Amino acid sequence: MDATNAIKKFVLENYLFTDDDSALANGDSLIRKGIVDSTGMLELISHLEDTYAIKVENAEMIPANFDSIDTIGAFVASKRAS
Amino acid sequence: MTPLVARVANVAIGEPQRRAVADGSRRIDYATLWAEACAFARYLRSAGLAPGDRVATILTNSIEAIVACYGCWIAGCVIVPLNAQARRWDFEPWLRHCEARCVIHEAGNSDAAMALDAIEAPLLRIVTDAGSLLPAATWAELMRVEHPCEIARAESATLAMILYTSGTTGAPKGVMLSHGNLAANIDSIIAYLGLGRDDSIVSVLPFYYSYGASVLHTHLAVGAFLVIESNLVFPHLMVETMARERVSGFSGVPSTFLLLLNRVPLADYDLSSLRYLTQAGGAMAPATARRLHEAMPQAELYIMYGQTEATARLTWLPPARREEKSGSVGIPVPGVEIVVRREDGQAADAFEVGDVHARGPNVMPGYWRDPQATASVLVDGWLRTGDMGHLDDEGFLYLSGRRSDMIKTGAHRVHPKDVEEVIAELPAIAEVAVIGIDDDTLGQVIKAFIVLVDNASLTINQIKAHCRDHLAAYKIPKQIEFVDTLPKTASGKIRRAQLTATIGPREVS
Repeated sequence: MDATNAIKKFVLENYLFTDDDSALANGDSLIRKGIVDSTGMLELISHLEDTYAIKVENAEMIPANFDSIDTIGAFVASKRAS
Repeated sequence: MTPLVARVANVAIGEPQRRAVADGSRRIDYATLWAEACAFARYLRSAGLAPGDRVATILTNSIEAIVACYGCWIAGCVIVPLNAQARRWDFEPWLRHCEARCVIHEAGNSDAAMALDAIEAPLLRIVTDAGSLLPAATWAELMRVEHPCEIARAESATLAMILYTSGTTGAPKGVMLSHGNLAANIDSIIAYLGLGRDDSIVSVLPFYYSYGASVLHTHLAVGAFLVIESNLVFPHLMVETMARERVSGFSGVPSTFLLLLNRVPLADYDLSSLRYLTQAGGAMAPATARRLHEAMPQAELYIMYGQTEATARLTWLPPARREEKSGSVGIPVPGVEIVVRREDGQAADAFEVGDVHARGPNVMPGYWRDPQATASVLVDGWLRTGDMGHLDDEGFLYLSGRRSDMIKTGAHRVHPKDVEEVIAELPAIAEVAVIGIDDDTLGQVIKAFIVLVDNASLTINQIKAHCRDHLAAYKIPKQIEFVDTLPKTASGKIRRAQLTATIGPREVS
């Protein structure tokens, strides 16, 4: 399973409480749709740091990196590559 | 009584170029805010809305939410700001109950759209998109009209706003607030905070809650500047905004301040412009207050207490007395009286715990079309707050709990029954009880105790998924525990207070 799919599975299980892939589109806004709140975002970032051995800096915690499965997947890929 | 709408008009006439609101990259001055509110009022009138008609908004904090509110008041209508995080099962009963003649919601809010589709009564439906209340051509035409803006006459008792405080269960409870209520409470808050036109504030509290509404209207009434931040998902971004805009104020609930202290390196930001911090929605731990003071020593911290039924504020703790009166929510705001009563209705002695009652020009005239509920809280001109507490020998109020089971989680209030009824819809559920349990950050989080029907099986995620489909996200229980029985009184009422202590866990999320 690639990182984007794995991240989506985590979000589906932990914030939407389902394994139904169609419940969330990869481009859906996690923030505007109220799927992830401030506590949830902290949990999500902590999960990404543990799973992918990356360190998310304060300056990187912005909607552009964390607003959807697609943007999170791209951000994690760029962090792992660097 | 000078209604809020007249105060904003005065600022717009006196200092039209004064900055009013920032919303993302958009900024408007008072002249623009006023012109847009007048244009919206013209639209409402042309659509046939009359003074007293209810206009419901389902909007997140935005310039449009402010324009809609003041436009309503110019037209003499009653604004009904509904919780934008609610679901269709909340919206439908609220809209029916207030008999909204017009509903404004954002494009893409499918819950609002579905609720409106289910309502047969004719109503004017406005869907906002891309930062405009109305389609561009209509808006441009309305803004071109040059004749003077005619403000509907508002007496002190004229109804201005209805705020719904409960969700899906039973009869919706709509707190009626008059123009006199709003004006009186706004005057009190302006006085004790010493607000003036050079003040500015970052606002993250929803306008559809009484606290957020009071932050909005107090600042606009004096010609101050309001910076809208849509959420707290990235708290450091909000602090960046506070530093960049050099704001003089910030308002939050205890969890907001904990989030800032625990998640943001505050020392990295220049927050020296902050003059006042306000906190309501529950007690702030003395240790948190001290940390805040250390992080922003020049900012005065105002601990406050109130409720929607009293427009917003009932008491405030003068910052100079905060250390000495640690744990107190302070003294009554100007114009308000507080008494603590024994069960027999007699005034309690100093330091004696009883029911907190309040009286003042900010106390609501009642619940919308619910005389029974009104009579249960308004007695002989006094508001029974539902809170327990005592006054000290100097008249400082200390709270010590509530008679009701309402859960306070972050900035939200949740009635356990709203959650219980949704969970009980699942066929495998025999019984359910929902309580609030202490949480270091949010004050309380929601916990559900579940008794399953014999031989039935249900997972925690199935219950949470059902809740997500039917409830606002903040109402989904964080914890779920399966139990064999629920503790009850002889009459069969669930003993909520005993739940955590008496029942051993079988499966905990």
